[in-house]
Amino acid sequence: MSGEDKFDVIIIGAGPAGTACAYTLAKEGKNVLVIERGTAAGSKNVTGGRFYTYALDLVEPGLWEDAALERKVTHEQIMMMAGEQSITIDYSNPAFNKSGEMPQSFTILRAVFDEWFASKAEEQGAVIACGIKVDGLIEEAGRITGVKAGGDEMFADLVIAADGVNSMIARQAGLVPELSDKTIGVGVKEIIELPAKTIEERFHLKSGEGASLLMLGCTEGIHGGGFLYTNNESISLGCVFTPSEAASHGRQVHDIFQDLKMHPSIYPLIEGGKTVEYGAHLVREEGYRGIPKKLYRDGLMVIGEAAGFVLNIGYTIRGIDLAIVSGVAAARAVISGKNPGPAYFEELNNIKLLPSMKAVDGYFDLLEIHRLYETYPKVASGVFNKMYSISGETPVSIKKGIWGVLKDNKVSLWQLVKDGIRGYRSI
Amino acid sequence: MSNVIVCFKWVKAEDDLRIDPATLAVDLSKAKGKISDYDRNAIEAARIASESAGSETIALTFGSNDAKTALKDALSRGPKQAFWVNDVSAENADGFVTANMLAAAIRKIGSYSLIVCGEGAADTYAHQVGPRIGALLDIPVISFVKEMRIEGSRLYAVRKLEDSLEQVEADLPAVVTVLPEINPAPIPGLKAVLEGGKKPVTEFKIQDLDLEDGDTSRKTDVVSFKGCSMSRKKILINEGDAKEKVTALVAALKKEGVL
Ligand SMILES: Cc1cc2nc3c(=O)[nH]c(=O)nc-3n(C[C@H](O)[C@H](O)[C@H](O)COP(=O)(O)OP(=O)(O)OC[C@H]3O[C@@H](n4cnc5c(N)ncnc54)[C@H](O)[C@@H]3O)c2cc1C
Repeated sequence: MSGEDKFDVIIIGAGPAGTACAYTLAKEGKNVLVIERGTAAGSKNVTGGRFYTYALDLVEPGLWEDAALERKVTHEQIMMMAGEQSITIDYSNPAFNKSGEMPQSFTILRAVFDEWFASKAEEQGAVIACGIKVDGLIEEAGRITGVKAGGDEMFADLVIAADGVNSMIARQAGLVPELSDKTIGVGVKEIIELPAKTIEERFHLKSGEGASLLMLGCTEGIHGGGFLYTNNESISLGCVFTPSEAASHGRQVHDIFQDLKMHPSIYPLIEGGKTVEYGAHLVREEGYRGIPKKLYRDGLMVIGEAAGFVLNIGYTIRGIDLAIVSGVAAARAVISGKNPGPAYFEELNNIKLLPSMKAVDGYFDLLEIHRLYETYPKVASGVFNKMYSISGETPVSIKKGIWGVLKDNKVSLWQLVKDGIRGYRSI
Repeated sequence: MSNVIVCFKWVKAEDDLRIDPATLAVDLSKAKGKISDYDRNAIEAARIASESAGSETIALTFGSNDAKTALKDALSRGPKQAFWVNDVSAENADGFVTANMLAAAIRKIGSYSLIVCGEGAADTYAHQVGPRIGALLDIPVISFVKEMRIEGSRLYAVRKLEDSLEQVEADLPAVVTVLPEINPAPIPGLKAVLEGGKKPVTEFKIQDLDLEDGDTSRKTDVVSFKGCSMSRKKILINEGDAKEKVTALVAALKKEGVL
């Protein structure tokens, strides 16, 4: 093999994980090649659309100021839906967005963000080759020594798989098993364009401010939920479903999503908008317990969602920040010059990625409570219905009303207590 | 044989154009750039021609700063080096100005035996540039080329006309404008992409070129630029059994004058 065909590190995938890793390595003078199958970084990537800013600061302090971000999230909202009814909680805390400081979180559009981020890694000296799909790994005497793409072979001291949720590379290398339809979600999403002013009026935002809205009870009882993020001049609206349940449900995921768009609490938010993009994508749902036991073998490291680094914890989905953090951890492990496998795990701990994921591991159990996706939103709406229905008739006491609602929804006291304990334990 | 020069244009991707349905105004601001589709076939045609003749392929473009990405892309498709006339005026130049720029650049490059252009650009499809370059350099032009072959200093080409094929020959140097069917435009592989990023690019500014007064002034002016939006008739035929539906469909198509 000639010097031309060999790099220090080849990274597969220019998503947030791969790019963050490439940036960090290139900055330290490593000869890095990133291979991305999309015609540009981000061109095919589907995500919800919110990003926690601290991760970019780990890559390079202050980098976020120049980043292609949309609106800083000033409003955290949760909506529970039951039929046409809905209950919304809106939380805002100015401490998350103190003036002069780095805002905690932004909404983003991946096509824009990924391309910006990749251009920054290029500025650091990384080579990014787009429009090329890696077909497989090259293995010599048990060691991964390079990649195959089309008819070409390219070699490196280390190959890093950053190829996302359904990592063909990590599977091929025997590090990650086939994904199970019970531990992933299928997300569908539209980007709907609206003028900035309209978005600000509808969500009560100032210029540059954004809302993040998660919805429960919009999936016809299927394990899953909806999300809505306000971008500068568009809204990202989508839904995530557990595919095994959706398949036996009888209705197409796409149709349930269309109903969500027409919901009386959602339609006024997107009315008059123009859908400019529609996409579907998988997302891992297992959190900490979904992380494969081994993320390294001789010559190969796995980072980002390929390595299971995603948290879907009901009130937020975090994959982009964790992908970046894992990319930085892997790069630091390489730069340290230590034995890469153990060094990577050490860095994942140092950078607090593994501890953070472990801390919220119990959410998986909470989200397994099926009644969360239909029954409890109905119960909550039922209670509100009793509270707010005033017709001049003698009302039943709230207490009695609650019992009635529980009975209507076939929830026994025993189940309620059991779910309550399970929920409490899991958080 | 000396160099084969292939001219290509960096255009806006039509999929990214936004048309306002009310005013038909076209919004180009969100559109990404790409190498004009037919020019990709032209680049490959040039590569094949120079390979068979044992010469070098050179890529040439007239474009604004925006065209920088284009050069890498073009170079990953085979040419050994690229020349770039960099000026913002490229964004709304007509065939006259573009041909003046390219011909001046070609003179500066000096040695060439064949100039390959796409038959028309993906955006304007005006068929102007190739023939004009030929006129400016005072060399033969063969258009609508679907096949070509070089033997010594002679070019043999097949032109595809409306209802016939025409075989023509010319002495080199010459200009050909090629149809996309001349050859496929393969997507560059990994190594080609990496090499493309390393090949030399020479940038010309307008001042570097030997131009005469008036060469940079357009001969045609675009008076308006509007989208074309088709309004659909939205006829739904869903009454009756299959036979009745088909009859209704045929009747409706006849009424519209399409059958
Ligand atoms: C519907 C939905 C909503 C989500 N919402 C959010 C959210 O709001 N916030 C959040 O933080 N996270 C969210 N996530 C999760 C987040 O999008 C992912 O976890 C994150 O993108 C993972 O980053 P990554 O770099 O590991 O992989 P990816 O972003 O998937 O990038 C992988 C890259 O590798 C490329 N690639 C794959 N295979 C090959 C190959 N063989 N050769 C070359 N290139 C290849 C791909 O084209 C892609 O660019 C959401 C996910 C979904 C599906």
